[in-house]
Amino acid sequence: MVSSEGDVAGSFRDPSGFVFRRDGVLYRQVNAVHADDYDHLMTSGLYDDLTRSGSLVAHEEASVEAEAPSKAHKVLRPEVVDFVSYPYEWCFGQLKDAALVTLDIQRRALGAGMSLRDASAYNIQFHRGRPLLIDTLSFEKLQPGRPWIAYRQFCQHFLAPLALMSYTDVRAGDLARIYLDGVPLDLAARLLPARARLRVPLLLHLFLHARGEKRYAGRSEEAGSDGRGGFTLQAFKGLIESLSGGIEKLTAHEQRSTWVGYYGEAAHYGPDSMSAKKELVSSLIADADPALVWDLGANTGDFSRLASDRGIKTIAFEVDRACVEENYRRVKASEEKNLLPLVLDLTNPSPAIGWDNRERMTVHQRGPADLVMALALVHHLAIANNVPLPRIAELLSSLGRRLIIEFVPKTDEMVQRLLATREDIFADYTRAVFEKDFERHFEIERVEEIAGSERVLYLMRAR
Amino acid sequence: MNTLGSRVTVVVVLVLAFSFTVIPVADAYIDPGSGSFIIQMAIGAALGLSLSIKLFWRRLVSLFSGRKQDQEEENPPADR
Repeated sequence: MVSSEGDVAGSFRDPSGFVFRRDGVLYRQVNAVHADDYDHLMTSGLYDDLTRSGSLVAHEEASVEAEAPSKAHKVLRPEVVDFVSYPYEWCFGQLKDAALVTLDIQRRALGAGMSLRDASAYNIQFHRGRPLLIDTLSFEKLQPGRPWIAYRQFCQHFLAPLALMSYTDVRAGDLARIYLDGVPLDLAARLLPARARLRVPLLLHLFLHARGEKRYAGRSEEAGSDGRGGFTLQAFKGLIESLSGGIEKLTAHEQRSTWVGYYGEAAHYGPDSMSAKKELVSSLIADADPALVWDLGANTGDFSRLASDRGIKTIAFEVDRACVEENYRRVKASEEKNLLPLVLDLTNPSPAIGWDNRERMTVHQRGPADLVMALALVHHLAIANNVPLPRIAELLSSLGRRLIIEFVPKTDEMVQRLLATREDIFADYTRAVFEKDFERHFEIERVEEIAGSERVLYLMRAR
Repeated sequence: MNTLGSRVTVVVVLVLAFSFTVIPVADAYIDPGSGSFIIQMAIGAALGLSLSIKLFWRRLVSLFSGRKQDQEEENPPADR
């Protein structure tokens, strides 16, 4: 769970300020060393421009005591995002949009005589369906002649993974989980096919950049000491346009997916039992009356939308990147504000990473949700992944206060398919045992059999 | 300008830029990497010049075709 007091891990590297919580409220302290840059952001019109277009998080200046008063210039109270997500949980389209919004912000900052001094993908969060820069302290006054400080970081956090997800495999998005400061450029250059060099932006910002890094590493003595490097504003603009043009043209690498189109083609539900299931789930959601829903194994979000369309903040977790991609495409197409699709492997969920394993949170630490939905999921965990039912019950009870879960019996066609190629060692996989195991962690509130199938829906409350 | 033209420009200018690069001190809290800094100076110089040539070319074309392209010059297209 997110602690309600003290410094927020993940913001400690920046000397310009930090994020802290007090009485459950999130604040950002601006340190005196950053006063000039912060004031310029506010007075130059850049803050208004960026918040109006929804690219930068809005804040108000709070009149509370600073957390570290000796260093403080101001304390801000930023608008809070509903759910913190990380780049390794985003599909290609989300990472691409986060990259493009970063470049657009940089372009507009240049127009206001400012520049981003970092370009970390972790500074972007998805808020009401769109990418948003949450670090108000990322702006500094443009220093004439100096190149973009955040160039390498931008290429590692955005360009390299996007190029890999486009030319090699979308699963390269998982690399962000290992490399906290983005994919090393020399690694990306080695993993990309030779034809990626035919794209000028990739040739320059990735391949040449990677070689230059090696060749000129440690040559700081070549640096002039007066800060006048002759990097013109036109060079800066050319750099940003080139990055943005290059990223704009990248598309997600095609992958064959078992899961996209799962519901469309699926023979395991007749149209009647499908609509019966939807009606039942809707009614169970209404009973639970949650403010935040986590839909686990959400596929392309058909059932998540039963919650999000009611105005409930909903996170649609799915292991299959192609499904998340399709779900995000739908969110964008209909400008949905309450649904956030994310990549998550429930059998190996996002760990805590970074310094002291505290910079980025586990999924658990970002919970619990008011309501967890696990529809057509339990047989995948129990049979395909050999997870015993008591453990599934225990995990789900720790993720949310209420649970809507579907039990899929062994006689079901989909379970039969899972069992077709393996020995049936799952003698305990029955409805009676399922109920007994779940009742140890939950109180069963409603049981609904889905008409036209042997599947059963439950609404439960965690004990 | 056509794609081949802009590619040739980028490469030529890149070679020139490497010869005249002076690297400023990076006064930053994240490490921009000295190698990355040097390469960015060169790439940026090439892309900046290529952007200028592109805009100049467009102005020239619009001069002869008699069309006004002020708006486009403000926002050069992202194509490169």
